[in-house]
Amino acid sequence: MNQVGAVGLIAALVFAIYGMISGAIAGKFRSPRMLKSAQRAVLGFFAMTTLAVVSLEYLALTNDFHNSYVASHSSLALPLVYKIPVLWAGQQGSLLFWTWLLSIYVALAVLLNRKKNRQLMPYIIAICMGVGTFFSLITFWVANPFDQLSLATATGITPYAPPDGNGMAPSLQYHSMVIHPPMLYLGYVGMAIPFAFAMSALLTKQLGDNWIRVTRRWVMVPWMFLGTGIVLGGHWAYHVLGWGGYWAWDPVENASLLPWLAGTAFLHSVMIQEKRGMLKVWNVVLIILTFFLSIFGTFLTRSGIISSVHAFAQSNIGPWFSVFLAIIAAFSLTALFLRLDFLKTENRLDSVASRESGFLFNNWILLAAVLAVLWGTIFPIVSKAIQGVTVTVGPPFFNKVMVPIGLLLLFLTGAGPLLAWRKTSFQSIKRNFTVPLIFAAIVGGILFFAGVHRLYTWMSLFLCAFVAASIVGEFYKGARTRMKSTRENFFASVYNLTMRNTRRYGGYIVHFGIVLIFVGFAGQAFRFETQGLMGPGDLLRAKDYLLRCESIDTGQKANYQYETVALSVTKDGHALTVMHPQKRFFLAEQESLSHVALHSTLAQDLYVVMAGQDPGSDKAIIHVIINPLVQWVWIGGIIVLLGTLLALVPSSIERQMADLHKGREELAEAHHVS
Amino acid sequence: MELGVAILLVIGLAVFTVTPLLAPDGPSEDALPIDVTPLADLKRRRMVVYENIKDLEFEYKAGKVSNEDYNTLRENHLAEAAQLMLASQEQEEITEHDLMIERQVAERRAQKKARHPDPYVCPECEFENPLPVKFCGNCGKELPKRTRGK
Repeated sequence: MNQVGAVGLIAALVFAIYGMISGAIAGKFRSPRMLKSAQRAVLGFFAMTTLAVVSLEYLALTNDFHNSYVASHSSLALPLVYKIPVLWAGQQGSLLFWTWLLSIYVALAVLLNRKKNRQLMPYIIAICMGVGTFFSLITFWVANPFDQLSLATATGITPYAPPDGNGMAPSLQYHSMVIHPPMLYLGYVGMAIPFAFAMSALLTKQLGDNWIRVTRRWVMVPWMFLGTGIVLGGHWAYHVLGWGGYWAWDPVENASLLPWLAGTAFLHSVMIQEKRGMLKVWNVVLIILTFFLSIFGTFLTRSGIISSVHAFAQSNIGPWFSVFLAIIAAFSLTALFLRLDFLKTENRLDSVASRESGFLFNNWILLAAVLAVLWGTIFPIVSKAIQGVTVTVGPPFFNKVMVPIGLLLLFLTGAGPLLAWRKTSFQSIKRNFTVPLIFAAIVGGILFFAGVHRLYTWMSLFLCAFVAASIVGEFYKGARTRMKSTRENFFASVYNLTMRNTRRYGGYIVHFGIVLIFVGFAGQAFRFETQGLMGPGDLLRAKDYLLRCESIDTGQKANYQYETVALSVTKDGHALTVMHPQKRFFLAEQESLSHVALHSTLAQDLYVVMAGQDPGSDKAIIHVIINPLVQWVWIGGIIVLLGTLLALVPSSIERQMADLHKGREELAEAHHVS
Repeated sequence: MELGVAILLVIGLAVFTVTPLLAPDGPSEDALPIDVTPLADLKRRRMVVYENIKDLEFEYKAGKVSNEDYNTLRENHLAEAAQLMLASQEQEEITEHDLMIERQVAERRAQKKARHPDPYVCPECEFENPLPVKFCGNCGKELPKRTRGK
């Protein structure tokens, strides 16, 4: 199977190169036969990367340690559920995984556009296959997952398989890690498609808003995956790393946030182009930036250029990625510069007090966020290049810069929908802002008297109340207006209102999810920590909780040994639960990992870590953290996902537009055939 | 065994990929059709403006927009829609003319083809002479009368 995988890799590279060249020729000469051949090359590329992925998974599942990659990232004792993630546990496998996901996306784009966008498709294929060529090339040439282990003996080189593999990093052996990397990768890779659409529109000079309309879903889907991946990453960090937090401004966390922020800006500014024919250049710039940052994120994750908690996969791919990033920047910016004349705006901004302005401010702030995070992330590289010393920028810098930016964005999340397109008079502003502001003021007052005096925390919760009220108000006013004309009941009105414009109301639900996430963030201000040595019968108090050590035990599972403490927890004198934090020692990997014990409610989490055993007393070192409102981060993440899914459902308005598009195709066909 | 199957699969896919290049041209296979006609684009933009007017009316009924804003914005939208309608009409005329010319050209070609159904094949070199000629355009040999179709 190792040879089969290698054949798959080589063939994928050949199909990618052929697809890139034939796509470009089909675009240049508008040749249907060449386009058909390029489309088939895409299917060939997909089939061959699939063959390579299946081969590697087979080698992992059958513990074939002749394969160097499998020997490095798997072991006999590794549970079956973690044998599949071996594919993305290391450098070579994850690059192959990236290539395979790209092939799926491109094959889907080809299949969904068999009869549509015939002039855009050749260049879309050429660009996607160009990206595919790069990834196939480094997977084959630099980071080949099908390298075999061998021994030099007196008779020559002979294949070699160790009795057991090195195993997987213990921190990866957690259930959300089965899905967190694929989600992020689906996000990173998916951004290649809208980028290809934009570049194809530039190359074919078809720069109306057709590419924008077609691309919207191709951006939303990877944006959704990226967001879900980021939340799952936070969930993993919170449950596995044992420091009681879910976001540490780690370079790789930042790398996933950057394209998400740029994609968010694009999803908002695209509406201005659709509605008003404005910001055409800006939208192309944003999609270029989003894709560039996706590749940059992959590069940061996989190159090990900056030290990170994600130091699972590092090698010598840095220079390759640097060249590729330079090619992307040069190609896309040249194409944009050559087509500036075709991207003239159709309208001007009528008023500062308008929804367009709201979107524009939102874009500027999101861009400021991108620049701040990017600067903080690459600062160690910059400082090393300039001063010769690596200076790491930590959470204090990010918090100082990003908290005000986050609050501004939160305000605009609530204010934007309250503004009308083109122009909003003071009278309209007063009418729309009064109720949400009164509600926010009441909530703010209650919070202040309840002891919330930290400025940023108070502001965050005040703005959450403002945004929540504005969103509820949008649904309420819309439903009430519908009820007057249709005589539906309130719930039917809300449902029909939403389905008529899924994009807008799905967006409001996404905003509501963001509000809940901010509520979770605000809870961090009230975090409480304590620590103690505990043996059987010992007590430890953490605010209202009283923990009593019942026993300390040891045991062994298939791939690790563990020590565990049984802690009975009481709150206000009532028995609550028994918690079992563990310290695990993984045998194959020869590494320790704390297994966190959690008791979660909507109000707060009781987070208990067994940091180890005190050598002097044989007592367990117990670290207790009370984390208020953390659950709202995960709930908010789920609501953002649901809102995005709703926004992806075609609304009645879009169906009308699609009918028009169908008519246009028939007209074009008639025009062409006659 | 697996390697053999994999190599066969690669060969099969390679053949599948290059096959379209070997196929003869179909009747409408000379160039890719256009994605967006100017007329359809104008129609779509007009629909967007109508949608904006609907949104405005809905927001006005919901009490989100003042009377003054509603009247000003509605006028702006209607002016934009009128401009687009005018542009659509002009484009429709152009499209109609284009289609008429193309139809006439197609008819002429069909008539010509009906008069000369077969190309003038030279029996010597098998060159297809497109017109009723006396001598082959490729080798210069005189063509037999029946081949000339006279």
